[in-house]
Amino acid sequence: MMSWLPENISIEGEEIDFLFYISYYLTVVVFIMVAVAMGYFIIKYRAKPGVKAKYTHGNNTLEILWTVIPTLILLVFVLMTQTSWAKLKLAIPQNPHVRVEVTGKQFNWIVRYPGDDGKFGTKDDLVLDNQLNVPVNKQLFIALKGADVIHSFFVPQARMKQDVVPGRTIPLWFTPTKVGKYEIPCAELCGFGHSGMNGEFIVHSEADYAKWRKKAWAEKDK
Amino acid sequence: MSETTADAHGAHDHHEGGFWSTYVFSTDHKMIAKQFLWLGLIMMVVGGILALIFRWQLAWPETQVWGFEWISDESEGMPEGYVTPNFYNMAVTMHATIMVFLVVMPILVGCFGNFLIPLMIGARDMAFPVLNMLSFWVAVLGAVIMSAGFLVEGGHAASGWTGYAPLSTVPEYSGVFMGQTLWALSLFVLSFSSLMGSINYITTLINMRTEGMTWFRVPLVVWSLFVTAILGLLALPILGSAAAMMIFDRAFETNFFNPAKGGEPLLWQHLFWYFGHPEVYILILPGMGIASELLPVFCRKPIFGYRAMVYAMLAIAFLSWIVWGHHMFQSGMNPALGSAFMMTTLVIAIPSAIKTFNWLGTLWGASMRFTVPMLHALAFVILFVIGGLSGIFMASNVVDIYIHDTYFIVAHFHYVIFGGSVFALFGGIQYWFPKMFGKAMDEALGKVHFWLTFIFFNMVFFPMHILGVGGHMRRIYNPMQYEFLQGMQPMNVMITLSAFALGLSQIPFVFNFFATVFRWNVKWFRVLTQAVSALVVGFIGYKSVAVMFEGLMEPEPSTGGRIVGTIVAIALAVWIYRYLEKNMAPLGADAPQNPWDANTLEWVAPTPAPHGNFGPTLPVVQRGPYEYSVPGEEADWAPQTEPIDPALAEAGH
Amino acid sequence: MNPVLEAPPKEELERWEGAPPPPPPEPPDDNGGNGNGGGDESQGSSPAGKPVLGNTQLAMLVLIAAEIMFFSGLIGAFLVFRFSGKPWPPPFQPRLPVEVTAVNTAFLLLSSYTMVRAQLALKRGDAKALPRLLTVTGVLGVVFLAIQGYEWVRLVNFGLSASANVYGSLFYTIIGTHGFHVLSAVAWLVAVLVRAHMGKYSARNPNGVVACAMYWHLVVGLWPVLFYLVYLL
Ligand code: HEA
Ligand code: HEA
Ligand code: CUA
Ligand SMILES: [Cu+2]
Repeated sequence: MMSWLPENISIEGEEIDFLFYISYYLTVVVFIMVAVAMGYFIIKYRAKPGVKAKYTHGNNTLEILWTVIPTLILLVFVLMTQTSWAKLKLAIPQNPHVRVEVTGKQFNWIVRYPGDDGKFGTKDDLVLDNQLNVPVNKQLFIALKGADVIHSFFVPQARMKQDVVPGRTIPLWFTPTKVGKYEIPCAELCGFGHSGMNGEFIVHSEADYAKWRKKAWAEKDK
Repeated sequence: MSETTADAHGAHDHHEGGFWSTYVFSTDHKMIAKQFLWLGLIMMVVGGILALIFRWQLAWPETQVWGFEWISDESEGMPEGYVTPNFYNMAVTMHATIMVFLVVMPILVGCFGNFLIPLMIGARDMAFPVLNMLSFWVAVLGAVIMSAGFLVEGGHAASGWTGYAPLSTVPEYSGVFMGQTLWALSLFVLSFSSLMGSINYITTLINMRTEGMTWFRVPLVVWSLFVTAILGLLALPILGSAAAMMIFDRAFETNFFNPAKGGEPLLWQHLFWYFGHPEVYILILPGMGIASELLPVFCRKPIFGYRAMVYAMLAIAFLSWIVWGHHMFQSGMNPALGSAFMMTTLVIAIPSAIKTFNWLGTLWGASMRFTVPMLHALAFVILFVIGGLSGIFMASNVVDIYIHDTYFIVAHFHYVIFGGSVFALFGGIQYWFPKMFGKAMDEALGKVHFWLTFIFFNMVFFPMHILGVGGHMRRIYNPMQYEFLQGMQPMNVMITLSAFALGLSQIPFVFNFFATVFRWNVKWFRVLTQAVSALVVGFIGYKSVAVMFEGLMEPEPSTGGRIVGTIVAIALAVWIYRYLEKNMAPLGADAPQNPWDANTLEWVAPTPAPHGNFGPTLPVVQRGPYEYSVPGEEADWAPQTEPIDPALAEAGH
Repeated sequence: MNPVLEAPPKEELERWEGAPPPPPPEPPDDNGGNGNGGGDESQGSSPAGKPVLGNTQLAMLVLIAAEIMFFSGLIGAFLVFRFSGKPWPPPFQPRLPVEVTAVNTAFLLLSSYTMVRAQLALKRGDAKALPRLLTVTGVLGVVFLAIQGYEWVRLVNFGLSASANVYGSLFYTIIGTHGFHVLSAVAWLVAVLVRAHMGKYSARNPNGVVACAMYWHLVVGLWPVLFYLVYLL
């Protein structure tokens, strides 16, 4: 199943993948235990002439065991997850390298880049439809906004997903680590154009990113 | 139907009366149960066909759906059989809505609840028979309103069965007008039906248990229905209030959910899931109850840990109120809440674990009989475990960041709902059929149906985990629009082919059901049944071979594929035909009073149970429901009305 | 009137397939099985098996639980908006008539008191007092509705609209839903009143009145909560 995961391209993605693997191994082991026990019983305890079933109403020691053991396992699992969750969702970065604003609007991603002043809403902002350009290895901070209905910003390779809610600004941050062109599907049903609401996520090398900026603003001023 | 004499109170009696009062406006809980069963089965065909239509679109995007080419090109939804994006969303929405509210709930809660509660606790009927009848007819009203939505301008609701606002509340965003309003109205009406059912179930169970039927002698399926009734009682009004607000938003332009005018879209999600999570346990608890009922009977062994089972159900019911946020980890609600909801969600896995291990404990040391109901119960356990374990991934809020809104979720809930609830439903139908209709469904046909359904269920839904891990989003109309999904398209084709096979697999069940109910045991009908079942299997075999030869993306098999496919198809068809010919019992033959040698009270009642269920005196309960293979007793079972030697019973503790 | 809640299972039992009515259940076995018999309390099943609450009361409690959940959905919505941090009530909205409504609240609470008196009268078997007290109760309910209706009309004229903002939406939805409940309760009460005049109830057969009264108390009991939230908070 693992090979089906798309290649991961973000630091945060590693964290998510790690927990994914943990869940995977945990559940596979539990499944095998249950399946083997069941299969064994089914083969061993089929009705045979002259053999009566065991007459038992249960066993309290067993009940306690199979309550406590899963509880402990799951407790560990919760603790492991929560440090990651805090890192990924609660520790809003103060000084990200790149800030952009992405607005979900039926059925496009509208991306607003600040100009050299680093501020949104000024004249030198650049607005592009469905194209998010970022430099590699730099922490990216996105302010997600919604214009009409709920959408969901999703970059599968970065393992990042966040719903976009009209009337709110929701922060999302991650650090892409691999140059390339990826997709930004919308993951929340948003109407008849939901399927196909798709943007480009372009991770540039440092140099390319500078080049792109120059070119993009030049084109805009034309 | 009944062997007793005409009624002395003829003038007041409407049970032995005409057609209308016997079959339509009956107040007899057993007839109402059958009515719910019919409602559910008919709607299952509708929900299933919708699934097949949108599955077609997913496998072969933007091609004409086979069988629908005749539709006029003026049609809004499927011009000339092409699925439009809005129609796709509508089909998904209505597939889910129908399956949840008009298939699983009517059958598991409406049918089994009505049928089993009075019979198994030794009551003559529900506490309020007229209310009971109303509950069914209100459900029908809900179904009619729901169906009417297909006919209105703009199409039916298309914002997912979760109806997220503001897509669902502002018509301009979705292009759906009356449809969504009717959807909400229907849910509102259905919540009334459920309420009436709950009132009856709870009152009947608390007040009308027969003598000796102490709480801890109540069969587990009845316990599960009791807990379900409480959940339904408390959860559905929440849906009702949310649906009312949605209707007001759409019809009177109030602003609950529309952020453009000061509303709060997340409010809808909170209300929906506050209802929705208890709802999913409403769907599974009766299934768990049925499994807990069938396993002891066919293991000939007391259920393992009866009390633990009861407490686990109560725990599930309680905990299901505090986990709703796990559907909203990515919704934009305060992320600090995410941790709390993950915690509670995993806590609720523990009672499920207790139940699973107790089922395994029941299998241990058993003397198993692999009847059709037993096969379904075993399938229930293993499929529920798979579905439950995939729930662990999503319960981790961090992992959920990635897999939320992907097919991983779709796989998860089909494993618990279809693998769980629907398998239990099929098992329950086969098991209680003799008591319901006085005739037994055929075991051989049932086995063909079970194995086909089991195999193709897994082939449809297991690969969805893999799609989900690959990032495949839910509710998308055309996966080929995404580069990163194109490599997985063969899997979509495989799923769709299997889904069609799964649909076809239901044909033996349909034959079995009708033949038994209407006693069509004539020669030509038996031959037809055998032939059609054989053809279904043969056809599936042919297609499978063709796929093995040509791969999934090739529509036409080559000559080699054709030849081998035909040989395999004929072999399979002959095998199934011969198997059925040899093993099919006379269809619709009268069933004995207690065909499974089961202990519980419904089997003490005559078959078919007359109005009033039991003879002039109610049975008096002397022992627990699962006293099988009691040492020192001659038979390996005894009705609950038989006294038990306390010394013997002690031996099992 | 809700005939359904009335229908005693006794009739059902008599209809049973022409057999004689079942004999009273035997005393419970040593396990002390509770809840045997399977009848309404009015049917006089054996005392050992007499349920703590009769079917009718139990059913009403169940219904009341559902109603409370329904209102908590609406109240939940109210609290979300009330504490969302935006100014409340929003500027330029007409003020709600707190004083008049407070007086009106008193009328409603009073009706619960008269309803209790009616129930007591029934218990005593006071055939005359019952319809009289029920009438008073109903009239108080109608007065409440009338004043509410009058205030609504005034609010509409002052320009409080359900569609302009959430404040209006909440007000009309919550108060309207409650008003609708009062209306239903009054309708039910009228039906009970008619039957009371016909002498259908007695100390041994109080279920129709009891059910209606329980519903009435629910509707009255909800009001102070809603009043506090919507008008005062
Ligand atoms: C019958 C219905 C049913 C049932 C029983 C469950 C059971 C569970 N569900 Fe599921 N769920 C749904 C129906 C159901 N669900 C539906 C319909 C949706 C999607 C709605 C939508 O968006 O459209 C959904 C979505 C859903 C989500 C949201 C995902 C998302 O949208 O991102 C989550 C997240 O936590 C979740 C979790 C769980 C968990 C933890 C359980 C647990 O109760 C499972 C517990 C069981 C086990 C764990 C297996 C047995 C136990 C053992 C063998 C013991 C040992 C185990 C361990 C130590 C791990 N479910
Ligand atoms: C009980 C619930 C239930 C059941 C049984 C099913 C059954 C099926 N489901 Fe469904 N499904 C949901 C509940 C259910 N589903 C929900 C809640 C969603 C989420 C929707 C959303 O996102 O909003 C969903 C979504 C969903 C999707 C995701 C769509 C998307 O996101 O774009 C898919 C995709 O393949 C799918 C497929 C199927 C298939 C192929 C079946 C098949 O197994 C169906 C096969 C059955 C038949 C063909 C019917 C056969 C007929 C009989 C047995 C009747 C016998 C009759 C008589 C005797 C008279 N379902
Ligand atoms: Cu935007 Cu889906
Ligand atoms: Cu849930």
